[in-house]
Amino acid sequence: MADRGMITIEIDGKSVSVEKDTTILEAARSIDIFIPALCYSELVEPYAACRLCIVEVNDGRKTKLVTSCNYPVRRPITVYTSSESVMRNRKIILEMMLSRWPNVQVIKDLAKNAGIEQPRYQHPSVDLNPNACILCGLCMRVCEQGIWDNIINFMNRGAERAVRMPYDSEQPHCVGCGACAEICPTGAITMVEDPNQPFDAEMIRKAGMRITEEMIKFDKEQCDMRGVGTAHLVEIMDAYDLLPVMNYRFGKHEDTPKISSDVFRKHFTKGKPDGCWLGCIMACAKAIENFELKTGPYKGEKVLVDGPEYETVGGSSNMGIFDPYFVAEYNFYCDTYGLDTISFSTMTAFIMECYEAGVLDIEKTEGLELHFGAKDAALELLHQIGRGEGFGLIAGKGIRYMKKYFVENFGADPNFVYDIGMEAKGMEYSEYVTKESLAQQGGYGIALKGAQHDEAWLIFMDMVNKQIPTFEDKAEALHYFPLWRTWFSLCGLCKLPWNDVEPADNAETDEPAKVPGHVQGYCEFFEGVTGKPQTMDSLIRMSEKVYNFQRVFNLKMGFGRREHDAIPYRSAGPVTVTEYESRQERYDTQLREEVGIDPSGMSSEEKVARMRKFRETQYEHLLNAVYKRRGWTNDGVPTVAKLTELGIDFPDVIELVKKHGG
Amino acid sequence: MITVNGITLDWYEGKTIHDVLQEMNYLFPLLIARINGKLIPRNKYDSTVIPDGATVDIIHLMSGG
Ligand code: SF4
Ligand code: SF4
Ligand code: FES
Repeated sequence: MADRGMITIEIDGKSVSVEKDTTILEAARSIDIFIPALCYSELVEPYAACRLCIVEVNDGRKTKLVTSCNYPVRRPITVYTSSESVMRNRKIILEMMLSRWPNVQVIKDLAKNAGIEQPRYQHPSVDLNPNACILCGLCMRVCEQGIWDNIINFMNRGAERAVRMPYDSEQPHCVGCGACAEICPTGAITMVEDPNQPFDAEMIRKAGMRITEEMIKFDKEQCDMRGVGTAHLVEIMDAYDLLPVMNYRFGKHEDTPKISSDVFRKHFTKGKPDGCWLGCIMACAKAIENFELKTGPYKGEKVLVDGPEYETVGGSSNMGIFDPYFVAEYNFYCDTYGLDTISFSTMTAFIMECYEAGVLDIEKTEGLELHFGAKDAALELLHQIGRGEGFGLIAGKGIRYMKKYFVENFGADPNFVYDIGMEAKGMEYSEYVTKESLAQQGGYGIALKGAQHDEAWLIFMDMVNKQIPTFEDKAEALHYFPLWRTWFSLCGLCKLPWNDVEPADNAETDEPAKVPGHVQGYCEFFEGVTGKPQTMDSLIRMSEKVYNFQRVFNLKMGFGRREHDAIPYRSAGPVTVTEYESRQERYDTQLREEVGIDPSGMSSEEKVARMRKFRETQYEHLLNAVYKRRGWTNDGVPTVAKLTELGIDFPDVIELVKKHGG
Repeated sequence: MITVNGITLDWYEGKTIHDVLQEMNYLFPLLIARINGKLIPRNKYDSTVIPDGATVDIIHLMSGG
């Protein structure tokens, strides 16, 4: 049975089914039929310059010669790749090429295959250089289409035609990625300058080129980081019930399509490199140009919005606001005031829930009606924080401060505000619902800098894949990933190229979640810069020293013990009856299967309480397992033995941990 | 019956990986699919038929910061 949308063609007597618009060359390669193709690469659009890839095509009516690299299959055809007429024409082209570039190896090889040892004439512009440029145009196409730079191009005509940088000068905008040199079939391009003088520039470039190739080939189908950046996660998190909605009460919302990545795609600037720094091939930063502001000191002006990224959009759903213009506006003003969109949105979501629950009212907020979804009030709050005025003076101090303040000054129920105020170690949560992933609750709670997912993002591994079922499995993940991710910070590298694109063979590796091919690449980066060979273990070891040091630093500053790894209950389970009832089937099943009690006949309040007892105990068990795995005491303090093993057993460090039972 | 990431799903003749992804609403792009431990390449998701009683793993990798 033929698959829908597939077209069956015949090449040299073999039949093959391909998707519409596959080129003949690709179809032939898929069944191991060789067609010489000098100006073709799967990294760039076809160009049909060399004409070596000609084949004969019969579409049932007539036969013609076509270049196979840019001939799309649209109907059943018969293809001959080495008919008499193909061979004759190919030979003429090859003889001409050999006469012009007699010492270029690829040409010599192809000519020999075609039975030409020596050309019968000499080309008027013969070039004896074995690394001569054969004008295939691959370099300029990869620079333009792959790197999104536009540094090199053909200059002049006829015999003078050559690849050059503009005005034959060195281009400051060339990012030195080496893609042009890598793709060149003759070695005509060499990288000459390495201003940073790394130990082995070639090793670095080769490792970088592997990521470049993956990005060019796979990004569109994988995460589309170049198209929409991390915003692609919005609709995905919604689908898995993980997108925070109304202060993390829920994980999805019917209005999510209004702020999904497709909406932002329309607004994002297109076709320009958009990385955090020049030359980043992932280029996921994204920007909206000419955005007209509706509020604040720049009202009416058209500005550039740097973003939004996933967290900024997730922060908006967390405030119950599903309006892309609001997202762009709060993104711009957070950046302008020097605020972080995560902290602002998470604390505003907290304020909104307090407002809805009656902890706050319009007097206490000095006139701001901060219900969920109140976008104008949210923006006004943002401006007040920026100006240091009104309720903004209280809100701007963050959730940890507000919880205490609301209890002491507004008579708030401490249990309620402490359950729903989403911060740990004084830092606001980022935008993921963690209720169904114990490992991720630990990821946030134990993270050294506070409630951030950048040490470990384990929700899929834990909740969806069920790959880490035991406490020990979760502890192992909470050992490895935070150390691995710490390593990026040690080196000043971005983590996203590690796991937002994956190598073609990643699925076949032993531990695909670690992306072993990329770990190997980072070992090469490190070695290429420093000259010191590395393994995954040695990179982890670097981090382990620093990570333990950081924990000791936390301890010194009063944040480094078990009590500081506590989390608000909202991140572990349903605080309110409404939350429980919104996912009743899930929770009832869990009570039955995991807690071992029969929920029928129980009131929702009772069920919330039983679930809470269970989940809070689970979290404590998790902490036990993680501390043990890390070589810390049960109070979360690194032991003297661990610090000695790591070689960071300095006298003041030892004195400090001993004081805390380490 | 088949199990998908530990969850029991109905089985019918001709059910594919693609059908399972739809049924589970697994939208995430970085997936690895295995039927009874055997890796199924991405381009075979809609042509690979799952046998009754199979254990299917749809491993989600990670992405984002
Ligand atoms: S090194 Fe990279 S940026 Fe520079 S010309 Fe070559 S492909 Fe373009
Ligand atoms: S420099 Fe190399 S890649 Fe560029 S056109 Fe010449 S042969 Fe082709
Ligand atoms: S490869 Fe087709 S024309 Fe060069």
